[in-house]
Amino acid sequence: MTQNKGIFPSTPAQSFFWSMVNYRWPIIIVSLILLAVSASFLPKLVKDTTSDAFINPDEPSLIYRHKIQDLFGLSDPIVIEIENENEKGIYNPESLLLLKWLSDEIQKLDNVDPDKLISLTTQSNIVGTADGMEVEDFFDVLPTSEQRINWLQGAIEQFPLYQGSLVARDGKATIIVAELIDEKKSPETYETIMELVKNAPIEKNSIHGKNQIHVAGVGAVSGYMATYIGNDTKRLNPLAGLIITIILFLAFFTPRATILPNLIVLATVAGTFGFMAAVGVSFFVITNGLIVCLIGIAVADSLHIFSQYYEEITARPDASQKELVVRAMASMWRPVTLTTLTTMAGFFSLWPTNDMPPIQYFGLFGAIGVFIAWAYSLSFLPAILSLLPKRPSRFFSTPARHKTHGRTARMMKYLGQRVLNNPKKILVAGSLVILLGAYGSSKVVVEEMRIENFKHSDPLYKADKSINARMDGTYYLDVMIETPEVEDLYKAENLQKIEALQTFLETQPGVGGTTSIVDYIKQMHRAVNENDPDFYNIPQDDLLIAQLFLLYSASGEPTDFEEEIDSDRQLALVRANMNRSSFIKNRGVVRDVEDYLKTHFNSPEITATLTGRVNVDYHWIKGIKESHLASVLVAFLAVISMAALLFRSLWAGFFAAIPVGMSILVIYTVMGFGDIWLGVGTSMFASIAIGLGVDFAIHTIDSMKKYLSEKSGSMQERLLYLYPSTGRALFFNFAAISMGFGVLLTSDVPPLIRFGGLVAIAISTSFIASMTILPALALILKPAFLLNTSAKMRLKPAAISASLLLIAVGLFTFYSNKANAQNLPEASQVIKNVIAREEGEFVSRKMTLQLTDRRGKVRTQETKAFRRYFGKEKRTVIFYTAPRNIRGTAFLTYDYPDVNVDDDQWLYMPALRKVRRISASDRGDYFLGTDLSYEEVKKESKVEFSDYHFKSLGTEEIDGFKTIQVEGLPVNDKISKELGYSRVVWSIDPEIWMARKIDFWDRNGNFLKTVTNMDIKKIDNIWSVQKIKAVNHKTGHQSLLSFSAIDYKKTVKPSMFEQRMLKRGLK
Amino acid sequence: MTLLRMFILAGSLLNFSALPAFAENLMDNISFSAIAKSEASVGLTKSELQKWDISIRPEITMDISDDLRLTAIGLGRLETRDALEPGRPGQSMRSSLSRRGYIGDRIDVELREFYLDTSFGDTYLRLGKQQIVWGQADGLRVLDVVNPFNFREFILDDFEDRRIPLWALNLEIPISDITAQLIWLPDQTYQQIPEPGALYAITSPRFVPALPQNIPVSFSPAQKPGNFFADSDVGLRLSTFMGGWDLTLNYLYHYQDNAVLFQNKGPDNIILSPEYKRSHLIGGTFSNAFGSFTLRGEIGYATGRYFLSNDPASRFGVQNTDEISYVLGLDYTGIKDMFISAQLFQSLVTDDDPGMVRDRLDSQSTLLIERNFMNDSLKASVLLIHSLNDGDGLAQLGVEYDLYDNMSVKISADIFYGHRHGLFGQFSANDRLSISFEIGI
Repeated sequence: MTQNKGIFPSTPAQSFFWSMVNYRWPIIIVSLILLAVSASFLPKLVKDTTSDAFINPDEPSLIYRHKIQDLFGLSDPIVIEIENENEKGIYNPESLLLLKWLSDEIQKLDNVDPDKLISLTTQSNIVGTADGMEVEDFFDVLPTSEQRINWLQGAIEQFPLYQGSLVARDGKATIIVAELIDEKKSPETYETIMELVKNAPIEKNSIHGKNQIHVAGVGAVSGYMATYIGNDTKRLNPLAGLIITIILFLAFFTPRATILPNLIVLATVAGTFGFMAAVGVSFFVITNGLIVCLIGIAVADSLHIFSQYYEEITARPDASQKELVVRAMASMWRPVTLTTLTTMAGFFSLWPTNDMPPIQYFGLFGAIGVFIAWAYSLSFLPAILSLLPKRPSRFFSTPARHKTHGRTARMMKYLGQRVLNNPKKILVAGSLVILLGAYGSSKVVVEEMRIENFKHSDPLYKADKSINARMDGTYYLDVMIETPEVEDLYKAENLQKIEALQTFLETQPGVGGTTSIVDYIKQMHRAVNENDPDFYNIPQDDLLIAQLFLLYSASGEPTDFEEEIDSDRQLALVRANMNRSSFIKNRGVVRDVEDYLKTHFNSPEITATLTGRVNVDYHWIKGIKESHLASVLVAFLAVISMAALLFRSLWAGFFAAIPVGMSILVIYTVMGFGDIWLGVGTSMFASIAIGLGVDFAIHTIDSMKKYLSEKSGSMQERLLYLYPSTGRALFFNFAAISMGFGVLLTSDVPPLIRFGGLVAIAISTSFIASMTILPALALILKPAFLLNTSAKMRLKPAAISASLLLIAVGLFTFYSNKANAQNLPEASQVIKNVIAREEGEFVSRKMTLQLTDRRGKVRTQETKAFRRYFGKEKRTVIFYTAPRNIRGTAFLTYDYPDVNVDDDQWLYMPALRKVRRISASDRGDYFLGTDLSYEEVKKESKVEFSDYHFKSLGTEEIDGFKTIQVEGLPVNDKISKELGYSRVVWSIDPEIWMARKIDFWDRNGNFLKTVTNMDIKKIDNIWSVQKIKAVNHKTGHQSLLSFSAIDYKKTVKPSMFEQRMLKRGLK
Repeated sequence: MTLLRMFILAGSLLNFSALPAFAENLMDNISFSAIAKSEASVGLTKSELQKWDISIRPEITMDISDDLRLTAIGLGRLETRDALEPGRPGQSMRSSLSRRGYIGDRIDVELREFYLDTSFGDTYLRLGKQQIVWGQADGLRVLDVVNPFNFREFILDDFEDRRIPLWALNLEIPISDITAQLIWLPDQTYQQIPEPGALYAITSPRFVPALPQNIPVSFSPAQKPGNFFADSDVGLRLSTFMGGWDLTLNYLYHYQDNAVLFQNKGPDNIILSPEYKRSHLIGGTFSNAFGSFTLRGEIGYATGRYFLSNDPASRFGVQNTDEISYVLGLDYTGIKDMFISAQLFQSLVTDDDPGMVRDRLDSQSTLLIERNFMNDSLKASVLLIHSLNDGDGLAQLGVEYDLYDNMSVKISADIFYGHRHGLFGQFSANDRLSISFEIGI
């Protein structure tokens, strides 16, 4: 056809797109089918707006909280408040009847646990009678008469437990606490409750004052969030689409350049979310932001392609439409592919560096979306475009570099002149921005409050503030108390400890009040003593306490204390009501309470663990900063290395990094000075800003290279060509993306506003820096990679390495994160049960080591070993007592719960009389001449969960015991090297959750050793191994460790695990 | 008569039947052990028997109560060759309570350690004759100067035998996360340097003043501190474990363990007057592990140090200066069963004098490579100590094998190299090959 005297197609790229255009119909049809298929999955998309969705399911604090939920049925409730500002507050028939009505209606709801509804209508009063004590429901008789209402008011005022927690201390409000059965259904429950509230029988002009109903609580926040954000995005997404359309129209003034990119947006969004639904990933709160992101990004590729297409029309007015499309594609596919790779890298860096699933998926599906946009832009777009008749754009009537038509081109050219005439001033200004940024970054704080996701004018926000101001608080910090024996909680000393804990908790800032079983006991004690306030305390007599419970059960409901104590009277829950959810404000409290528990609840008789929403939040928010920094770093490195590879110069890498680096600093400055905290939403901005922002730098550098390679004109003149051509395209690119994100500014959801605003600022900074700093730097530094004309942009190696890098990272993270979740619920559960096996807080024992070599020579060593848990930290000390020549040697280990933190270890060598710090990274080294590794000695027949992928192999009978065989393969080569194993098979007895036999294979896959646990007995109610035999099949050496005098009861003093003890030796 | 009455009285007061039980109880709380060792060395230069020591080190511990333990460690040694300490070496550098007993020229006996351990709450006290070891460095001394050393075998002897235990009070008081160690040492015992004629007598001009040949030299008696309280040493060490780091801060106010040799140069004679001098030592240590590496170090600043000077202007042939010294060590355990440790020691004097015999900056480095075989029953090691200033040094190679639980044999070689004027080079004729047996009882 129009082969232009045989010189077209002349490059492989042209040939490729030429044949592609020839297959346009199949391409269009396949593209549309794919679009339809992915769109068909969309209805399957599941929303998950709970805050637990943000937490890594393996986070210990979350696991523990679920345990509490199972035990006491308490989690994140919806809290409904009835408020009356009248003088008598809620103590009037209307308020109380309203309370009754609401409580009854809520109790009937499907997702509300009827037994766990806490309201005045379900609670009981405890009063003394002649023959002891009587338990009477507050609402036994409907409080309609003045007398009954006065009785009720008096009873509440005599019952400190309910003040602040159930009824405001000033009597002006009361609450209903509704526990949900399934937290994921909280959106529906919240809506139903709001419907009830709307229809509540409220007298408008009552003589008793106006009753107001507020609905809040963590459950409500989760519930409302979905609706709230859903409504918001329903409005935002079309708006973003509209804005982008306008920009496209302004850029080209043609219908095709306005409509076709929108088709690509559609395909990208449908493809991404359809894929998400197909693989069963939930749509989280922040996923809403992804739609807007993708809209902005998806048009960028077509923007550059259309720019080129119109330039080609101007340059070759006689060429056919098909040829023009092919030429445009052939010259644009490289930069488009590169910017796609960098943007993907930016998104993708969120995946491995974060452990919050919503953010991980944001990164993963963001990258997938960018990929889909690329694929459609390079196939679907040319296919359709080639079908349309040739029609120029009025903005492209002269060659780009000389272009003076069009306001944008003139504006960019003017900018170019200013920049190139004052390069030094530009650089000084740039340096000032960097300095300011460095200062601003130091002011950024980590914080997260879900309630701040709502506008301050929102009813839920107001309800939250109102309830938390009036009541003791709707944010819970719980302490779970555990005792070893049944009915231990009848002991006065234990109750006194709980009481002291409550007193301590109440002194903590933000804690409005506390509740526990002790409050009931004190109330009961007072009741049986004729309501004498002097007896509002814990009885000294354990028997009396037991009797109080018995007396109570005579007239009360058996389930009445379910939320405070278990039926065995062994476990108790102390709940502190906090009126704020701020991480910054609460972290001190969490740490202080942890310290308190560590010092006051560390005996075998009573232990305590911190839990509750406030604690869970503390633990996951704490990690935001690290994961944020990691993702910034990874994204940054990816960008630098990609640009360096692409331009074959490390300097080019740094050049490309300058605009994005500056944009990140500017963002930090805005955050630091604008009091925008680094939270869930904002922690993601940086990676995305880097991925998007680097595009400007890459296009700019590429274009500077192109124009500098021309032979005529001064360097300054040649650099000026950049502005009306590439500069103009970048301007529209910038406008599209930043306005796309800017749309988020009109959101009703504050975090989305912040996220959108920050990314928009980052993009603007990247654009401005690319257009100013980079040319100025080029002019002053004259870097070789720009001037060296021979070294053309080497796309292939760069693109290949970059894609390989991406695929490798992807496979690695997918494998390490997903693989083990998919194929192992069973084996991993077995191992989890092994890990959860009771070990006792401390233990002391004698250990005899018998080491036998291949020829039968036996060496025997005697030791005394002690172990104690300090919270989750485990400390072990071993003293050698015989033979004489090693007597006095002692070995101390601190094993930290965080697997990423190395243990600290010390060895005391009597010959040197010195405690020596030794490194602990070599977990696989043999422990002091035995055939067990340090890791195995330390773990005491347990295993580090994160070291292996587990798989069930079957069952095996060992010494008549049925065991489950679980295979463990080290998760990666590093771990394998550390442990010295390539494979481990545990034969685990499910009756005792302990391995009876373990086989090990070495790094070369050879059978290495077998460890057998023998003489397993229950001592002090804990399964204990009394003999461990380890046989090394390679060396023929074997070790027999015999334990005797095992004692879990005798307290092992904390001071036993100090370095000075090693030196002093064992008494 | 009176005596008899007293006996009857005592008998009626004491329940005689309880006595055996008491004794039995006491015996239960006493434990006895001992290490017997025999070591023979053959000189490599002249291939003669350098030494053949046979020693026994008995140890008795007695638990008087739950919180009170008495430990006594003795040493009896037969030096068959009588070459290391010929005859009966003088003991003027030792306080009367810390002296050794001689049986003939070849046997000496010593009460090495004798102390009581007790604690009051978390506070711990060790009272009596003991070794107190400070510092993080191996073999190189910056802060490990609390106890003086006996250099009868230069530095070839075990650490355990090299240090001279002192009568001291050692109190450890934990104060929240910090442990304060307070030490008080009234024992005025100082370094024991081999006398001229001994195998390891010091000849290096770094330590022995170069005196004119033709002028008679006489010694005046050593000026040794004598006041029990005023001349005692005191020290304080604060140690803590913080953010993975082991840190200590040390201060010691003490007499330096080597006497300063003042030279009174007259026209026709020279009188050497040894005198012990006070010094303040302030310093600190740190250590932490990073992966397979352990980093450790110590630094100390000592006031009032004296070094030999050849400067004719210096009146007494010595130069007074402060000294700052440090050791930086890096241990590596990344290879299975291997232990590699390198150390750098540097000492800098603050007041340099052109005639000072030592260099202003004195540097030594050490390298230790150890490897365990056969489940730790065989251990091979190479230790290299090298002076960066003089280019001399010492290489020690050893192989130790546990024959039985309580019996081991060790074969080792000690090779000195470098110029005769150097600290190590002065013994380059003393290279030796040794074999030793150790039995624990």
